[in-house]
Amino acid sequence: MSNVSFILDNGACTAKVGLSTASPKLVPNCIMKAKSERRRPFVGSQIEECRDASGLFYILPFQKGYLINWDIQKTVWDYIFSKEQCSANLSQMPLFITEPHFNFPSIQEAMTEIFFEEYDCQSILKINASGLSCYHYRNKNPTAKCCIIVDSGYSFTHIIPYVNGVKVKDGIRRIDVGGKLLTNHLKEIISYRQLHVMDETYVINQAKEDSCFVSQDFYKDMNTAKNKLEINPIARDYVLPDYTSLRRGFLRQPEAPGEQQTLRLNNERFAIPEILFHPSDVGIHQIGIPEAIVDSLKACSEETWPHLLANIVLTGGNAKFPGFRDRVLKEVRSLAPSQYSVNVVRPEDPITYAWEGGKLLSRDSRLSSMIVTKEEYEEEGQAICYERFDI
Amino acid sequence: MAARESGRIKDAYQKRVLDEAARKRRQRKALEALEQDNFHDDPHADLVMSKKVPKFQESLDSRGAGRKKKTKSAEYYKQRFRKTFAQLVEEELNFNRTPPNYASAQAPASRFPDRHFCAVCGFPSNYTCIPCGARYCSTKCLGTHLDTRCLKWTA
Ligand SMILES: [Zn+2]
Ligand SMILES: [Zn+2]
Repeated sequence: MSNVSFILDNGACTAKVGLSTASPKLVPNCIMKAKSERRRPFVGSQIEECRDASGLFYILPFQKGYLINWDIQKTVWDYIFSKEQCSANLSQMPLFITEPHFNFPSIQEAMTEIFFEEYDCQSILKINASGLSCYHYRNKNPTAKCCIIVDSGYSFTHIIPYVNGVKVKDGIRRIDVGGKLLTNHLKEIISYRQLHVMDETYVINQAKEDSCFVSQDFYKDMNTAKNKLEINPIARDYVLPDYTSLRRGFLRQPEAPGEQQTLRLNNERFAIPEILFHPSDVGIHQIGIPEAIVDSLKACSEETWPHLLANIVLTGGNAKFPGFRDRVLKEVRSLAPSQYSVNVVRPEDPITYAWEGGKLLSRDSRLSSMIVTKEEYEEEGQAICYERFDI
Repeated sequence: MAARESGRIKDAYQKRVLDEAARKRRQRKALEALEQDNFHDDPHADLVMSKKVPKFQESLDSRGAGRKKKTKSAEYYKQRFRKTFAQLVEEELNFNRTPPNYASAQAPASRFPDRHFCAVCGFPSNYTCIPCGARYCSTKCLGTHLDTRCLKWTA
């Protein structure tokens, strides 16, 4: 077997895709329709060809983090594997595909069927994205026996403890807060407080990415944000794109209203990411990330605690909020048993960290015992996948 | 507080109070809204051809070495694997009740008390609106709340 594989980290919002010999491409995992372009929908990265992304309508394959709309997913996968994107010959190389934790059996089986029967895959490896992140981390930190992967993505946030590279299933925690909820909440409060932006998911998601940060002292920042503009270092204006002279919005110092349409962002800048730490702020009665890390820890045997706490890895798009790592560290430090040291790592690119783990895994000599080949599938059916893959 | 404003607040407070069930319904609706993919309708809904998405014909040739295979349509897979999220959760409840599973992995409630924020301005709040239970921080915000939300879109 050649050691080139195709890696598809199939996120609910963004698919991270590419040959293991190349760099990952980020492809929106959806079909989008624009008000301005009535002739065609945009599949995946085709959205870059859209001149005016205002009022963009989304059709997503995933619901609540699980693959539900197979026609949409098939269309996006066809696009990803086409010459337009990656042009992979799947009958000649292994395909790595990620699935969410506790993926429902009928989705798992549908995935297997579609890849072997529709895409003619030579062999597949199904794994959680956090499994690839764990592999990546252990590859770079060979002495780390254990780690806790925090995967905070579009649909939800998972905390997954790994001991010697094996996930501790009883310790997995899911918080039903992800980037989608944060963007929708930001849309809601901006629409109520200043400008109707309910139809502008695309733009407000960018505003969130460009403006929000994780507070290190929440009530102190709340007090600061109450100050008038001259002595308020938090308030900013977000200049909205008009798609003639400006394609992406940007953050700037507050100014008197001028030609450009702007949003005034103040406590919104840190109250939005705060939901990851306090889901109850929006009425979701679940613990936030630091508490969930400690809850997850306590489901593991006590001898692993020092190793787990010393290797906490933050992945997924929400890990990109400035201040995220420091806040997680501070709170886990205060909640965890004080005799153990706590170390929290935010990789340089928390979005592609899992994909890069797949790239490293593709060169592993044990790979051939981890995959399921088309011959095995034809002989043993779905059973061999349940046996070999731990989803 | 202006006399007019205090009179208006008194009026609102005398009218009626949402019961617990209505408040729960409202809260559930708010959470459902946070899950929505789109707030508006499909801008191409009126187009007959809008279901036709581009086909990526090239991919078919590169797929199998020489063996031309008929590929199935997106619509085929939609029908073949049709199951809603609710059905999947229900299936798991019936067939895979032993944790760990989707249900058991859900993070539990916090042992820390809830924090409260003004429904209007988002700053920390100390007061609760009597008719609907929303939080507010000042008479100014309460006035805005009564004028805009409070009982205005009662479910
Ligand atoms: Zn207020
Ligand atoms: Zn009210």
